[in-house]
Amino acid sequence: MIRTCAQSALRASSRFSAISPRLFLRAQSSNALTKTQLPFTFSKAGPSLVKYTSQHEWIAAHQDGTAFVGITRYAADALGDATYIELPEVDSELEAGDSLGSVESVKSASEVYQPLAGTVLEGNESLNDTPQLINEDPMGEGWIAKVRLNDLADMNGEELMSLEQYEESLKEDH
Amino acid sequence: MLRIIRTKALSSVPCLKGRCVRYYVGTQTPLELNPAAQDERYADLNNMYTEMFAGDDVKSSVARNKDKEGLSEIDQLNAEISETYDFMAKPISGQELEQIVKSPGRFILKSLSNNPYYNLALEDYVFLNTPAPRESPFSSERLLFYVNDKCVVIGKNQNPWRELFLDECSKKGYKFVRRKSGGGAVVHDLGNVNYSYLTSRDLFRREYFNKQIVRWLTQTFPGVNVSLSPRGDINLVNQKVSGSAFKVAKGKSYHHGTMLINADITSFSGLLKPECLEGIEWSGGSIESVRSRVANLSQMGVENTDEFVDLCSEGFKSLMNENMPVYWAEESCTTNAEILKTIRHLQSDEWLYDSGPNFTVSFLGRTINVEKGIIKDSTNSEGVGSHFRDYVSLLKKNKHFKTGIEI
Repeated sequence: MIRTCAQSALRASSRFSAISPRLFLRAQSSNALTKTQLPFTFSKAGPSLVKYTSQHEWIAAHQDGTAFVGITRYAADALGDATYIELPEVDSELEAGDSLGSVESVKSASEVYQPLAGTVLEGNESLNDTPQLINEDPMGEGWIAKVRLNDLADMNGEELMSLEQYEESLKEDH
Repeated sequence: MLRIIRTKALSSVPCLKGRCVRYYVGTQTPLELNPAAQDERYADLNNMYTEMFAGDDVKSSVARNKDKEGLSEIDQLNAEISETYDFMAKPISGQELEQIVKSPGRFILKSLSNNPYYNLALEDYVFLNTPAPRESPFSSERLLFYVNDKCVVIGKNQNPWRELFLDECSKKGYKFVRRKSGGGAVVHDLGNVNYSYLTSRDLFRREYFNKQIVRWLTQTFPGVNVSLSPRGDINLVNQKVSGSAFKVAKGKSYHHGTMLINADITSFSGLLKPECLEGIEWSGGSIESVRSRVANLSQMGVENTDEFVDLCSEGFKSLMNENMPVYWAEESCTTNAEILKTIRHLQSDEWLYDSGPNFTVSFLGRTINVEKGIIKDSTNSEGVGSHFRDYVSLLKKNKHFKTGIEI
């Protein structure tokens, strides 16, 4: 609940910039899924699992095998202001590790990879007009692709990390 | 003394029957001598080279390299230096390239080719094949240098029709190139040198390498006003001498930049489009170039691209605190299957014209919507289903299309 508040406050902040710095920092450091946005609210029960890759993608899978993919708050902060998001083509069948799209920010093109094998159902078209959603809410409104996983059980694969493991890996790196 | 002989030595390295021959600075390069530029002191030596290469018998000249007797003192000295610092000027074979790239460790790689598609493909090959295991700290930083023939280069997510006067570019002999990194349009020629600094994704800091370049330049030329611009580019006084772009993928990153040394800047005008042109309107998500006034670094005393490359190479070695090897890549010796595939991709219409962001363009009462290079929708359904590129060239062939609209 607190996290939800913090994140909606964060999104408000980018529009109205009236927020306490402490709250802002706390929200900014969170790599948890935004609970008020589609990647979370897609199914009533919420995602059954949310996992992270070493390349700083997140994947949120729902019971019916539909999953949302985006880049983490950490990655979005590191890349800076996004100016263009290259979205995947609908119906493309991707293997784990295939290119899903890319984020251009401040003259850098950064590849985004498909964490698990599946078929692209939809790219987040709102990123075409509003690429800055990637910075405002990378863990929610700034999702990049909606995919149908070939096998939901792949979410338990060893390559993927839990939120705790991901946060831990960030500490090790820096 | 040695320096005089080295200065011209970079342009061509003989590649015999597919095998790379070792490169010696003094004797093996066929020089075209300008008699007026000859120093009397070296007249004998120079004439010797001319004679050596005037004959058809290449084998004997190679053989003569091995035989130090009969060489001048300077050449002997050069030969000794070549042996001592064996890594200094050695075009590598395709196998060697693969081996050095895929093994961990730092190195400097200088391309001997001026082909922009090869150079970008070489860079991509090094980038994708450099090991970056997550378990161990990254220690495979690499620094590449290449000089491209006349070309205009746009960023991955740019619209070529919006950024470039494409006809003018081809008329003036500037090749059209789309790179894999982000950012805006730039012009290259033989007076511009490109550097490319590769490191891990975790160590990626946009301004890091340009800060080092500014430091090295300032150390070498004290009192000269070079600085980082607010966009992280390098300015001389307040004109841009270097532009940067970045790529992040597979746990690694590179920062590549241009450095104008003694480029033919006056010829650049009329190649890149201004922000707005009358009668034509573009919309869509493509990245727009930031227009800047450019200048050459030769103004401050850096005489040629080699001098800049040497300065950065020395700086990089001391920055990494390692006397790392320096390799030379020659195009025909190192174009392996993977590099060839990338060259073909970079040269394909699909990559050059169709891969950028979707866009809508309005001119002369038409509005045309283009997705992945193909017209999806337009006023009166004109051209729907065809490539925008073909549509534009058809329009231009139409004699009635003399309107002054620059598309």
